[in-house]
Amino acid sequence: MAKVVVDAMAMQRALTRITYEIIEHNKGIDDLVILGIKTRGVYLAQRIASRLQQLEGSEVPVGELDVTMYRDDIEHDGKENDPTVTAGSVTFPVAGKKVILVDDVLYTGRTIRAALSAIIDMGRPESINLAVLVDRGHRELPIRADFVGKNIPSSQKERIRVSVEEIDGRDAVEILHK
Amino acid sequence: MAERYLILEDGSSFKGEGFGSSATTTGQVVFNTSMTGYQEIVTDQIYHNQIIVFSQPTIGSTGINHDSYESILPTAKGMVVRDLASISKNRQRRLSLDQFLKQNNIPGISGIDTRYIIRKLRKTGTIKGSIVDVDDDHAFDQLHATVLTNQQVAQVSTPKPYPNPNTGSNVVVIDFGLKNGILRQLSKRDCNVTVLPWSATAESITNLDPDGVILSTGPGSPFDLPETVLDMIREIQSKVPLFAIGLGHELFALANNATVTPMLSEHHGANHPIRQIITNQIIFAAQGQGYAIDAKSVDREKLIITYVDLINGTVQGLRHRDFPAFSVQFFPDAAPGPDDSLDIFDEFTEIMSTREE
Repeated sequence: MAKVVVDAMAMQRALTRITYEIIEHNKGIDDLVILGIKTRGVYLAQRIASRLQQLEGSEVPVGELDVTMYRDDIEHDGKENDPTVTAGSVTFPVAGKKVILVDDVLYTGRTIRAALSAIIDMGRPESINLAVLVDRGHRELPIRADFVGKNIPSSQKERIRVSVEEIDGRDAVEILHK
Repeated sequence: MAERYLILEDGSSFKGEGFGSSATTTGQVVFNTSMTGYQEIVTDQIYHNQIIVFSQPTIGSTGINHDSYESILPTAKGMVVRDLASISKNRQRRLSLDQFLKQNNIPGISGIDTRYIIRKLRKTGTIKGSIVDVDDDHAFDQLHATVLTNQQVAQVSTPKPYPNPNTGSNVVVIDFGLKNGILRQLSKRDCNVTVLPWSATAESITNLDPDGVILSTGPGSPFDLPETVLDMIREIQSKVPLFAIGLGHELFALANNATVTPMLSEHHGANHPIRQIITNQIIFAAQGQGYAIDAKSVDREKLIITYVDLINGTVQGLRHRDFPAFSVQFFPDAAPGPDDSLDIFDEFTEIMSTREE
Protein backbone atom coordinates (compact mmCIF):
# COMPACT_ATOMS: atom_id res chain seq x y z
CA MET A 1 0.00 0.00 0.00
CA ALA A 2 1.33 3.39 -0.97
CA LYS A 3 0.62 6.46 1.08
CA VAL A 4 1.31 9.86 -0.47
CA VAL A 5 3.20 12.01 2.03
CA VAL A 6 4.27 14.81 -0.32
CA ASP A 7 1.94 15.73 -3.17
CA ALA A 8 2.84 17.64 -6.34
CA MET A 9 2.07 21.06 -4.86
CA ALA A 10 4.04 20.33 -1.70
CA MET A 11 6.97 19.09 -3.78
CA GLN A 12 7.00 22.32 -5.81
CA ARG A 13 6.92 24.31 -2.59
CA ALA A 14 9.74 22.28 -1.08
CA LEU A 15 11.95 22.93 -4.11
CA THR A 16 11.03 26.62 -4.03
CA ARG A 17 11.91 26.85 -0.35
CA ILE A 18 15.19 24.99 -0.87
CA THR A 19 16.04 27.43 -3.67
CA TYR A 20 15.49 30.44 -1.41
CA GLU A 21 17.48 28.75 1.35
CA ILE A 22 20.37 28.18 -1.06
CA ILE A 23 20.38 31.90 -1.92
CA GLU A 24 20.14 32.79 1.78
CA HIS A 25 22.96 30.44 2.72
CA ASN A 26 25.33 31.33 -0.12
CA LYS A 27 24.55 35.08 -0.22
CA GLY A 28 23.64 34.80 -3.89
CA ILE A 29 24.58 32.38 -6.62
CA ASP A 30 28.14 33.40 -7.52
CA ASP A 31 30.41 30.39 -8.08
CA LEU A 32 27.48 28.04 -7.50
CA VAL A 33 27.30 24.72 -9.35
CA ILE A 34 24.68 22.02 -8.85
CA LEU A 35 25.36 18.30 -9.09
CA GLY A 36 22.45 15.91 -9.18
CA ILE A 37 22.76 12.23 -8.32
CA LYS A 38 21.16 10.03 -10.95
CA THR A 39 18.36 9.46 -11.65
CA ARG A 40 15.85 11.62 -9.81
CA GLY A 41 18.39 13.84 -8.12
CA VAL A 42 19.32 15.17 -11.57
CA TYR A 43 15.77 16.30 -12.31
CA LEU A 44 15.47 17.92 -8.91
CA ALA A 45 18.84 19.63 -9.52
CA GLN A 46 17.57 20.97 -12.85
CA ARG A 47 14.41 22.32 -11.25
CA ILE A 48 16.39 24.12 -8.56
CA ALA A 49 18.69 25.54 -11.26
CA SER A 50 15.77 26.83 -13.32
CA ARG A 51 14.31 28.48 -10.22
CA LEU A 52 17.63 30.14 -9.47
CA GLN A 53 17.76 31.38 -13.04
CA GLN A 54 14.21 32.79 -12.82
CA LEU A 55 15.14 34.73 -9.70
CA GLU A 56 18.67 35.81 -10.46
CA GLY A 57 18.67 35.92 -14.24
CA SER A 58 21.85 33.91 -14.70
CA GLU A 59 22.42 30.27 -15.41
CA VAL A 60 23.78 27.90 -12.81
CA PRO A 61 25.65 24.88 -14.29
CA VAL A 62 24.09 21.49 -13.58
CA GLY A 63 26.06 18.23 -13.71
CA GLU A 64 25.11 14.59 -13.27
CA LEU A 65 26.69 12.05 -11.01
CA ASP A 66 26.25 8.34 -11.83
CA VAL A 67 25.66 5.94 -9.02
CA THR A 68 26.17 2.23 -9.31
CA MET A 69 24.75 -0.08 -6.71
CA TYR A 70 25.54 -3.71 -6.56
CA ARG A 71 24.76 -6.51 -4.20
CA ASP A 72 26.97 -9.35 -3.16
CA ASP A 73 24.70 -11.62 -1.19
CA ILE A 74 27.20 -14.36 -0.46
CA GLU A 75 29.99 -12.32 1.08
CA HIS A 76 27.94 -9.66 2.82
CA ASP A 77 25.01 -11.49 4.31
CA GLY A 78 22.51 -9.74 2.10
CA LYS A 79 23.72 -6.27 2.97
CA GLU A 80 24.26 -3.80 0.19
CA ASN A 81 27.80 -2.87 -0.60
CA ASP A 82 28.71 0.78 -0.65
CA PRO A 83 27.59 2.32 -3.91
CA THR A 84 30.07 3.73 -6.36
CA VAL A 85 29.54 7.20 -7.72
CA THR A 86 31.24 8.49 -10.84
CA ALA A 87 31.17 11.81 -12.61
CA GLY A 88 28.56 11.02 -15.26
CA SER A 89 28.50 14.23 -17.19
CA VAL A 90 30.12 17.06 -15.33
CA THR A 91 31.37 19.30 -18.11
CA PHE A 92 32.65 22.09 -15.90
CA PRO A 93 35.37 22.35 -13.24
CA VAL A 94 34.29 22.08 -9.60
CA ALA A 95 37.56 23.37 -8.15
CA GLY A 96 36.95 26.58 -6.20
CA LYS A 97 33.19 26.31 -6.68
CA LYS A 98 30.37 26.13 -4.17
CA VAL A 99 28.83 22.77 -4.95
CA ILE A 100 25.20 21.97 -4.17
CA LEU A 101 24.81 18.21 -4.21
CA VAL A 102 21.21 17.13 -4.84
CA ASP A 103 19.58 13.77 -4.21
CA ASP A 104 16.00 12.63 -3.79
CA VAL A 105 16.23 10.59 -0.58
CA LEU A 106 18.83 10.71 2.19
CA TYR A 107 18.96 7.35 3.99
CA THR A 108 22.14 5.61 5.16
CA GLY A 109 24.39 8.35 3.83
CA ARG A 110 26.54 5.89 1.86
CA THR A 111 25.58 7.25 -1.57
CA ILE A 112 26.38 10.76 -0.41
CA ARG A 113 29.74 9.65 0.98
CA ALA A 114 30.59 8.09 -2.38
CA ALA A 115 29.37 11.22 -4.19
CA LEU A 116 31.57 13.39 -1.99
CA SER A 117 34.61 11.28 -2.93
CA ALA A 118 33.71 11.53 -6.62
CA ILE A 119 33.42 15.32 -6.39
CA ILE A 120 36.67 15.72 -4.50
CA ASP A 121 38.40 13.52 -7.10
CA MET A 122 37.39 16.09 -9.73
CA GLY A 123 38.99 19.02 -7.91
CA ARG A 124 38.86 20.91 -4.65
CA PRO A 125 35.55 22.76 -4.30
CA GLU A 126 35.29 25.75 -2.01
CA SER A 127 32.38 24.04 -0.26
CA ILE A 128 29.85 21.27 -0.71
CA ASN A 129 26.27 21.52 0.56
CA LEU A 130 23.71 18.79 0.43
CA ALA A 131 20.09 19.30 -0.62
CA VAL A 132 17.62 16.41 -0.43
CA LEU A 133 13.92 16.22 -1.07
CA VAL A 134 13.39 13.66 1.69
CA ASP A 135 15.39 12.83 4.78
CA ARG A 136 14.13 9.50 6.09
CA GLY A 137 16.65 8.97 8.87
CA HIS A 138 18.65 5.76 9.63
CA ARG A 139 22.05 7.24 8.89
CA GLU A 140 25.02 4.88 9.05
CA LEU A 141 27.58 7.62 8.47
CA PRO A 142 28.04 11.09 10.00
CA ILE A 143 26.32 12.91 7.15
CA ARG A 144 23.52 15.46 7.29
CA ALA A 145 21.67 17.56 4.73
CA ASP A 146 21.89 21.35 4.67
CA PHE A 147 18.60 21.76 2.82
CA VAL A 148 15.74 19.33 3.42
CA GLY A 149 12.42 19.31 1.57
CA LYS A 150 10.70 17.09 4.12
CA ASN A 151 11.76 15.02 7.06
CA ILE A 152 9.95 11.70 6.96
CA PRO A 153 10.81 9.61 10.00
CA SER A 154 10.42 6.09 8.60
CA SER A 155 10.77 2.49 9.59
CA GLN A 156 13.46 0.47 7.85
CA LYS A 157 10.69 -1.88 6.79
CA GLU A 158 9.17 0.87 4.71
CA ARG A 159 10.25 2.04 1.31
CA ILE A 160 10.15 5.68 0.21
CA ARG A 161 9.28 6.20 -3.43
CA VAL A 162 9.96 9.53 -5.07
CA SER A 163 8.27 10.12 -8.42
CA VAL A 164 9.12 13.04 -10.65
CA GLU A 165 7.11 14.36 -13.57
CA GLU A 166 10.04 14.06 -16.00
CA ILE A 167 10.26 10.27 -15.91
CA ASP A 168 7.41 9.03 -13.73
CA GLY A 169 4.71 11.28 -15.16
CA ARG A 170 3.82 12.81 -11.80
CA ASP A 171 5.33 14.42 -8.73
CA ALA A 172 4.90 12.62 -5.43
CA VAL A 173 6.66 11.11 -2.44
CA GLU A 174 5.05 7.94 -1.15
CA ILE A 175 5.67 5.50 1.67
CA LEU A 176 5.29 1.85 0.69
CA HIS A 177 4.94 -0.91 3.21
CA LYS A 178 6.88 -3.96 2.23
CA MET B 1 -36.91 53.41 0.45
CA ALA B 2 -35.84 56.97 0.83
CA GLU B 3 -34.25 59.04 -1.89
CA ARG B 4 -30.63 59.79 -1.02
CA TYR B 5 -27.57 61.24 -2.71
CA LEU B 6 -23.95 60.26 -3.20
CA ILE B 7 -21.97 63.49 -3.41
CA LEU B 8 -18.29 63.71 -4.30
CA GLU B 9 -15.59 66.20 -3.45
CA ASP B 10 -15.36 67.33 -7.09
CA GLY B 11 -18.89 68.76 -6.85
CA SER B 12 -20.78 65.94 -8.54
CA SER B 13 -23.97 64.48 -7.12
CA PHE B 14 -25.81 61.22 -7.87
CA LYS B 15 -29.36 60.44 -6.89
CA GLY B 16 -30.19 56.98 -5.62
CA GLU B 17 -32.15 55.07 -3.04
CA GLY B 18 -30.90 54.56 0.46
CA PHE B 19 -30.60 51.17 2.14
CA GLY B 20 -28.93 49.96 5.31
CA SER B 21 -28.37 52.66 7.88
CA SER B 22 -29.97 56.05 7.26
CA ALA B 23 -27.05 57.95 8.78
CA THR B 24 -25.09 60.56 6.89
CA THR B 25 -21.62 59.26 6.14
CA THR B 26 -18.34 60.57 4.76
CA GLY B 27 -15.31 58.62 3.60
CA GLN B 28 -12.77 58.09 0.85
CA VAL B 29 -14.55 56.69 -2.19
CA VAL B 30 -12.89 53.57 -3.61
CA PHE B 31 -14.14 50.91 -5.98
CA ASN B 32 -13.94 47.15 -5.96
CA THR B 33 -14.17 45.11 -9.15
CA SER B 34 -14.62 41.67 -7.55
CA MET B 35 -17.43 39.60 -9.01
CA THR B 36 -18.22 37.97 -5.67
CA GLY B 37 -17.62 38.41 -1.98
CA TYR B 38 -19.43 41.61 -0.98
CA GLN B 39 -19.83 40.33 2.58
CA GLU B 40 -16.11 39.71 3.00
CA ILE B 41 -15.35 43.04 1.34
CA VAL B 42 -17.65 45.18 3.47
CA THR B 43 -16.41 43.51 6.66
CA ASP B 44 -12.70 43.81 5.75
CA GLN B 45 -10.99 46.40 7.95
CA ILE B 46 -8.90 47.68 5.05
CA TYR B 47 -12.05 49.66 4.15
CA HIS B 48 -12.01 51.59 7.41
CA ASN B 49 -13.15 55.15 6.58
CA GLN B 50 -13.94 54.22 2.98
CA ILE B 51 -17.10 54.14 0.91
CA ILE B 52 -16.98 51.16 -1.43
CA VAL B 53 -18.35 51.34 -4.96
CA PHE B 54 -19.06 47.89 -6.41
CA SER B 55 -18.62 47.35 -10.14
CA GLN B 56 -20.55 44.09 -9.96
CA PRO B 57 -24.04 45.39 -10.83
CA THR B 58 -26.13 43.30 -8.44
CA ILE B 59 -25.13 43.17 -4.82
CA GLY B 60 -26.87 41.43 -1.94
CA SER B 61 -28.23 38.40 -3.75
CA THR B 62 -26.84 35.89 -1.28
CA GLY B 63 -27.60 37.78 1.92
CA ILE B 64 -25.21 37.58 4.83
CA ASN B 65 -23.99 34.26 6.20
CA HIS B 66 -22.02 33.37 9.29
CA ASP B 67 -19.04 31.87 7.42
CA SER B 68 -17.96 34.97 5.58
CA TYR B 69 -17.24 37.66 8.13
CA GLU B 70 -13.77 39.17 7.86
CA SER B 71 -14.15 41.15 11.10
CA ILE B 72 -16.58 41.28 14.00
CA LEU B 73 -17.26 45.02 13.84
CA PRO B 74 -16.97 46.28 10.28
CA THR B 75 -15.90 49.91 9.93
CA ALA B 76 -16.50 50.64 6.24
CA LYS B 77 -18.30 53.95 5.75
CA GLY B 78 -20.73 52.95 3.06
CA MET B 79 -21.69 50.82 0.06
CA VAL B 80 -22.56 52.15 -3.37
CA VAL B 81 -24.28 49.67 -5.69
CA ARG B 82 -26.21 49.71 -8.91
CA ASP B 83 -28.93 47.22 -7.94
CA LEU B 84 -29.62 45.96 -4.47
CA ALA B 85 -30.86 42.41 -4.94
CA SER B 86 -34.51 41.96 -4.09
CA ILE B 87 -33.79 38.45 -2.86
CA SER B 88 -32.96 39.56 0.59
CA LYS B 89 -32.01 36.39 2.43
CA ASN B 90 -29.96 33.34 1.67
CA ARG B 91 -31.32 29.82 2.00
CA GLN B 92 -30.12 29.63 5.58
CA ARG B 93 -32.57 32.48 6.34
CA ARG B 94 -30.09 34.55 8.20
CA LEU B 95 -29.63 38.22 7.43
CA SER B 96 -30.20 40.33 4.37
CA LEU B 97 -27.50 42.80 3.40
CA ASP B 98 -29.92 45.63 4.19
CA GLN B 99 -30.55 44.33 7.73
CA PHE B 100 -26.87 43.71 8.29
CA LEU B 101 -25.92 47.26 7.28
CA LYS B 102 -28.66 48.65 9.54
CA GLN B 103 -27.32 46.63 12.48
CA ASN B 104 -23.79 47.85 11.85
CA ASN B 105 -24.71 51.46 11.16
CA ILE B 106 -23.33 51.43 7.62
CA PRO B 107 -25.31 53.38 5.01
CA GLY B 108 -25.78 52.07 1.47
CA ILE B 109 -27.08 53.65 -1.70
CA SER B 110 -28.44 51.83 -4.75
CA GLY B 111 -29.56 52.85 -8.20
CA ILE B 112 -26.24 54.56 -8.91
CA ASP B 113 -24.42 54.32 -12.25
CA THR B 114 -21.42 52.70 -10.63
CA ARG B 115 -19.53 52.25 -13.91
CA TYR B 116 -19.62 56.00 -14.50
CA ILE B 117 -18.31 56.68 -11.00
CA ILE B 118 -15.54 54.12 -11.38
CA ARG B 119 -14.39 55.72 -14.65
CA LYS B 120 -14.41 59.08 -12.92
CA LEU B 121 -12.42 57.75 -9.94
CA ARG B 122 -9.81 56.24 -12.23
CA LYS B 123 -9.14 59.79 -13.46
CA THR B 124 -9.51 61.80 -10.25
CA GLY B 125 -7.88 59.26 -8.00
CA THR B 126 -9.29 58.53 -4.58
CA ILE B 127 -11.49 61.42 -3.40
CA LYS B 128 -13.84 62.06 -0.51
CA GLY B 129 -17.55 61.52 -0.79
CA SER B 130 -20.71 61.44 1.33
CA ILE B 131 -24.02 59.65 1.34
CA VAL B 132 -26.55 62.32 2.34
CA ASP B 133 -30.29 63.04 2.35
CA VAL B 134 -30.04 66.40 0.56
CA ASP B 135 -27.32 67.45 -1.89
CA ASP B 136 -27.35 71.16 -1.07
CA ASP B 137 -24.42 73.54 -0.56
CA HIS B 138 -24.43 72.80 3.12
CA ALA B 139 -23.82 69.09 2.41
CA PHE B 140 -20.89 69.93 0.13
CA ASP B 141 -19.48 72.33 2.73
CA GLN B 142 -19.69 69.59 5.32
CA LEU B 143 -17.98 67.16 2.95
CA HIS B 144 -15.12 69.57 2.22
CA ALA B 145 -14.72 70.38 5.89
CA THR B 146 -14.55 66.76 7.03
CA VAL B 147 -11.04 65.66 7.91
CA LEU B 148 -10.65 61.89 7.86
CA THR B 149 -8.44 60.35 10.49
CA ASN B 150 -5.04 59.05 9.54
CA GLN B 151 -5.02 56.82 12.62
CA GLN B 152 -6.97 54.01 10.93
CA VAL B 153 -4.70 51.22 12.16
CA ALA B 154 -5.02 52.32 15.80
CA GLN B 155 -8.80 52.45 15.30
CA VAL B 156 -9.20 48.91 14.05
CA SER B 157 -6.32 47.02 15.68
CA THR B 158 -7.04 45.03 18.82
CA PRO B 159 -6.27 47.09 21.93
CA LYS B 160 -5.13 44.02 23.88
CA PRO B 161 -3.40 40.74 23.00
CA TYR B 162 -5.61 37.67 22.68
CA PRO B 163 -4.95 33.99 21.98
CA ASN B 164 -6.40 31.69 19.33
CA PRO B 165 -5.12 28.42 20.81
CA ASN B 166 -4.24 25.31 18.87
CA THR B 167 -1.61 22.59 19.05
CA GLY B 168 0.79 23.38 16.21
CA SER B 169 3.45 25.99 15.53
CA ASN B 170 3.49 29.05 17.75
CA VAL B 171 2.61 32.08 15.63
CA VAL B 172 2.37 35.73 16.62
CA VAL B 173 0.10 37.84 14.43
CA ILE B 174 0.57 41.61 14.55
CA ASP B 175 -2.87 43.15 14.02
CA PHE B 176 -2.79 46.20 11.76
CA GLY B 177 -6.45 45.63 10.86
CA LEU B 178 -6.53 41.89 10.64
CA LYS B 179 -8.96 40.10 8.36
CA ASN B 180 -10.34 36.84 9.73
CA GLY B 181 -9.08 34.93 6.67
CA ILE B 182 -5.55 35.04 8.05
CA LEU B 183 -6.60 33.47 11.37
CA ARG B 184 -8.81 30.98 9.53
CA GLN B 185 -5.89 29.74 7.43
CA LEU B 186 -3.60 29.53 10.48
CA SER B 187 -6.30 27.57 12.36
CA LYS B 188 -6.58 25.13 9.47
CA ARG B 189 -2.85 24.52 9.85
CA ASP B 190 -3.16 24.00 13.64
CA CYS B 191 -1.13 27.11 14.47
CA ASN B 192 -1.22 28.26 18.07
CA VAL B 193 -1.80 31.97 17.52
CA THR B 194 -1.38 35.02 19.72
CA VAL B 195 -2.66 38.26 18.22
CA LEU B 196 -0.83 41.38 19.39
CA PRO B 197 -1.78 45.05 18.90
CA TRP B 198 -0.12 46.97 16.06
CA SER B 199 2.20 48.77 18.48
CA ALA B 200 3.80 45.54 19.80
CA THR B 201 7.53 45.86 20.37
CA ALA B 202 10.12 43.36 19.17
CA GLU B 203 10.74 42.46 22.80
CA SER B 204 7.09 41.69 23.55
CA ILE B 205 7.02 39.49 20.44
CA THR B 206 10.20 37.55 21.19
CA ASN B 207 9.06 37.08 24.79
CA LEU B 208 6.34 34.82 23.38
CA ASP B 209 9.02 32.69 21.72
CA PRO B 210 7.19 32.44 18.38
CA ASP B 211 8.12 30.01 15.60
CA GLY B 212 6.93 32.64 13.14
CA VAL B 213 5.44 36.11 12.97
CA ILE B 214 2.76 37.47 10.63
CA LEU B 215 2.27 41.14 9.86
CA SER B 216 -1.39 41.48 8.95
CA THR B 217 -3.29 43.45 6.37
CA GLY B 218 -4.74 46.77 7.40
CA PRO B 219 -6.19 50.08 6.30
CA GLY B 220 -4.60 53.37 5.35
CA SER B 221 -1.11 54.50 4.57
CA PRO B 222 2.07 52.80 5.77
CA PHE B 223 3.48 56.31 6.35
CA ASP B 224 0.93 57.02 9.07
CA LEU B 225 2.58 54.49 11.38
CA PRO B 226 5.52 55.52 13.54
CA GLU B 227 9.11 54.56 12.76
CA THR B 228 9.07 52.23 15.78
CA VAL B 229 7.01 49.74 13.74
CA LEU B 230 9.79 49.57 11.14
CA ASP B 231 12.38 49.08 13.89
CA MET B 232 10.30 46.18 15.20
CA ILE B 233 10.19 44.60 11.72
CA ARG B 234 13.96 44.98 11.21
CA GLU B 235 14.64 43.25 14.49
CA ILE B 236 12.07 40.47 14.12
CA GLN B 237 12.98 39.54 10.54
CA SER B 238 16.52 38.71 11.65
CA LYS B 239 15.26 36.40 14.41
CA VAL B 240 12.15 34.47 13.32
CA PRO B 241 10.44 33.57 10.05
CA LEU B 242 8.32 36.54 9.02
CA PHE B 243 5.34 36.65 6.66
CA ALA B 244 3.79 40.02 5.83
CA ILE B 245 0.54 40.65 3.95
CA GLY B 246 -0.99 43.80 2.45
CA LEU B 247 -0.18 46.78 4.68
CA GLY B 248 2.31 44.45 6.39
CA HIS B 249 4.03 43.97 3.02
CA GLU B 250 4.27 47.74 2.52
CA LEU B 251 5.78 48.11 6.00
CA PHE B 252 8.19 45.21 5.36
CA ALA B 253 9.33 46.98 2.17
CA LEU B 254 9.80 50.30 4.00
CA ALA B 255 11.74 48.57 6.78
CA ASN B 256 14.12 47.28 4.11
CA ASN B 257 14.58 50.68 2.46
CA ALA B 258 12.30 50.26 -0.57
CA THR B 259 10.19 53.20 -1.69
CA VAL B 260 6.41 53.00 -1.35
CA THR B 261 4.23 55.40 -3.33
CA PRO B 262 0.48 56.10 -3.34
CA MET B 263 -1.33 54.85 -6.44
CA LEU B 264 -3.49 57.31 -8.41
CA SER B 265 -6.59 55.23 -7.79
CA GLU B 266 -6.70 52.38 -5.33
CA HIS B 267 -6.86 48.91 -6.81
CA HIS B 268 -9.44 46.56 -5.30
CA GLY B 269 -10.40 43.43 -7.17
CA ALA B 270 -9.43 39.89 -8.06
CA ASN B 271 -8.94 40.12 -11.81
CA HIS B 272 -5.24 40.85 -12.23
CA PRO B 273 -2.91 38.04 -13.27
CA ILE B 274 0.06 37.87 -10.92
CA ARG B 275 3.25 36.11 -11.92
CA GLN B 276 5.15 34.04 -9.38
CA ILE B 277 8.65 34.67 -10.63
CA ILE B 278 10.42 31.59 -9.25
CA THR B 279 8.12 29.12 -11.04
CA ASN B 280 6.80 31.45 -13.77
CA GLN B 281 3.27 30.46 -12.78
CA ILE B 282 0.31 32.84 -13.09
CA ILE B 283 -2.06 33.16 -10.17
CA PHE B 284 -5.08 35.29 -9.36
CA ALA B 285 -5.80 36.65 -5.89
CA ALA B 286 -7.91 39.26 -4.18
CA GLN B 287 -6.08 42.57 -4.06
CA GLY B 288 -6.74 45.77 -2.17
CA GLN B 289 -4.06 48.40 -2.22
CA GLY B 290 -3.74 52.15 -2.28
CA TYR B 291 0.05 52.06 -2.16
CA ALA B 292 2.60 50.23 -4.24
CA ILE B 293 6.27 49.44 -3.95
CA ASP B 294 8.50 51.05 -6.54
CA ALA B 295 10.33 48.13 -8.20
CA LYS B 296 13.34 50.30 -9.07
CA SER B 297 13.80 51.21 -5.44
CA VAL B 298 14.12 47.60 -4.31
CA ASP B 299 17.70 46.88 -3.22
CA ARG B 300 18.44 43.65 -5.08
CA GLU B 301 21.33 42.92 -2.74
CA LYS B 302 18.84 42.76 0.09
CA LEU B 303 15.47 41.77 -1.36
CA ILE B 304 14.21 39.50 -4.11
CA ILE B 305 11.04 40.45 -6.00
CA THR B 306 8.93 37.28 -5.94
CA TYR B 307 5.55 38.27 -7.44
CA VAL B 308 4.63 40.89 -10.06
CA ASP B 309 1.21 42.19 -11.14
CA LEU B 310 1.06 41.80 -14.92
CA ILE B 311 -1.53 44.55 -15.47
CA ASN B 312 -0.05 47.48 -13.56
CA GLY B 313 3.48 46.14 -13.04
CA THR B 314 3.41 46.59 -9.27
CA VAL B 315 5.60 44.53 -6.97
CA GLN B 316 3.29 41.92 -5.42
CA GLY B 317 5.81 39.97 -3.37
CA LEU B 318 9.22 40.32 -1.74
CA ARG B 319 11.64 38.05 0.04
CA HIS B 320 14.66 38.91 2.11
CA ARG B 321 17.95 37.51 0.85
CA ASP B 322 19.46 36.87 4.26
CA PHE B 323 16.48 35.80 6.37
CA PRO B 324 13.37 33.62 6.00
CA ALA B 325 11.21 36.75 5.71
CA PHE B 326 8.78 37.31 2.88
CA SER B 327 5.72 39.32 1.98
CA VAL B 328 2.84 39.56 -0.48
CA GLN B 329 0.79 42.60 -1.42
CA PHE B 330 -2.26 40.55 -2.41
CA PHE B 331 -4.50 38.58 -0.04
CA PRO B 332 -3.64 34.88 -0.16
CA ASP B 333 -6.40 33.85 2.26
CA ALA B 334 -9.01 33.70 -0.53
CA ALA B 335 -11.72 35.42 1.50
CA PRO B 336 -13.06 36.47 -0.90
CA GLY B 337 -11.25 35.66 -4.10
CA PRO B 338 -9.39 32.88 -5.91
CA ASP B 339 -7.59 30.29 -3.79
CA ASP B 340 -4.58 30.01 -6.13
CA SER B 341 -2.23 31.35 -3.51
CA LEU B 342 -3.59 29.66 -0.37
CA ASP B 343 -0.51 27.49 -0.22
CA ILE B 344 1.61 30.49 0.74
CA PHE B 345 0.34 29.68 4.24
CA ASP B 346 1.74 26.15 3.79
CA GLU B 347 5.02 27.71 2.67
CA PHE B 348 5.06 29.68 5.92
CA THR B 349 4.23 26.69 8.16
CA GLU B 350 6.82 24.56 6.33
CA ILE B 351 9.50 27.18 6.91
CA MET B 352 8.59 27.14 10.60
CA SER B 353 8.64 23.34 10.86
CA THR B 354 12.00 23.01 9.06
CA ARG B 355 13.52 25.33 11.61
CA GLU B 356 11.95 23.51 14.55
CA GLU B 357 13.53 20.21 13.54
